[in-house]
Amino acid sequence: MKSLSQTLWKLPSLTVLIILGAAATATAQNPRIQTSQLDALAPKASETVDVNIDERLMQLTSKFFSSKDNDEAKVKEIINGLKGIYVKSFEFENEGQYTEADIEGIRSQLRNPAWNKVVNVSSKKEGGVEVYLMQNGNQISGLALLATDPKEITVVNIIGPVDLDKLTQLEGQFGIPELGIERSKPKRKN
Amino acid sequence: MNIDGDYLWDKTGEPDPEIQELEEILGTLRYQPRPLKIPADLQTNPTRGFFSTLVPRLAIAATLAMALLGLGLWLGLQHSQQPRAPVVAKTPIAPASGKNPGSRELPTPDQGAKDTDVATFGGPEQKQKHLSRRHSASSSLAANINRSPHIREGLIRQRQVAVQELREAEAAKDELMLALRMASAKLNFAQKKTQNINPREPVHNQHKIG
Repeated sequence: MKSLSQTLWKLPSLTVLIILGAAATATAQNPRIQTSQLDALAPKASETVDVNIDERLMQLTSKFFSSKDNDEAKVKEIINGLKGIYVKSFEFENEGQYTEADIEGIRSQLRNPAWNKVVNVSSKKEGGVEVYLMQNGNQISGLALLATDPKEITVVNIIGPVDLDKLTQLEGQFGIPELGIERSKPKRKN
Repeated sequence: MNIDGDYLWDKTGEPDPEIQELEEILGTLRYQPRPLKIPADLQTNPTRGFFSTLVPRLAIAATLAMALLGLGLWLGLQHSQQPRAPVVAKTPIAPASGKNPGSRELPTPDQGAKDTDVATFGGPEQKQKHLSRRHSASSSLAANINRSPHIREGLIRQRQVAVQELREAEAAKDELMLALRMASAKLNFAQKKTQNINPREPVHNQHKIG
């Protein structure tokens, strides 16, 4: 009888644990990263970019891209199926306006095993770029990009199946200026 | 079984024993005239109960009520639908079309009406008749709308929401392009850097053999 009562007492706690585990898993699989901790840097920044486009706005906006126009069709193709694009960027007049601790909140989220760091570029002169992908099977379900520079921090978070090749090729097209970054040479055929 | 003779047809000729046997078996089921026996306890004129008389009347009343309700709804629907088209044309609220590039794609109601006129009415007389009819209808409906401010307010609100959504989407389009530009630039930068670290053609100083 005692063992039965003990078992009955354990049931609610077990249920709570299961619910918490499920919630934690769901959170772990969510490709949306929180960037609100960076807002404290806004007063120090000389230029701030804050873009928040959720699924509803994305669907609404996609109607404004014409399928007949080649450039717009390309953009439409890229954003088709995306559930959100969030960008936060701060540009400072001088170096040392932010510390590693400011970015740690972002990095800690990206240390989640659901995220895979696919690119990590570090340069003292030009800064570093970290690209993370969240995959659901073979399909990309989210992208996170953290670009740091002595005078700049940029966080890009794209939710949904993003085509990296098409997104990379977008620079220099459709009024998007080329930012002086060379594009990769096409592969040579053997 | 013998089926050559006329026995089966008119009972003449040689009878077949099998058929005779079947006749005997089935003969018991033959129609036998009997006088109608009415049970003594059967009430030919029963006294009707309260509910038994009320139910049919209630059913008739309910049917009539439903028919009247349906008619009322139909008339109400007709009445509410009529003023809508001219109201949109008359509503003074319109987006700042000059400043809004996205609104260029959406024709104004007046433009739409002009297009329809040109497409539908070939002759000038027909067009004139239609215009005069439409003018009288719109003026009477405008008067109706003036009398019913609820409809007007609802339509104005709808229009305002549509315009707001349009502006929101236009602003979001610019933001989206900015976001894509930044993402693309950073990805290109990362791609360039990784290619510099791992060049595709690492050996340049080899000589051809042969």
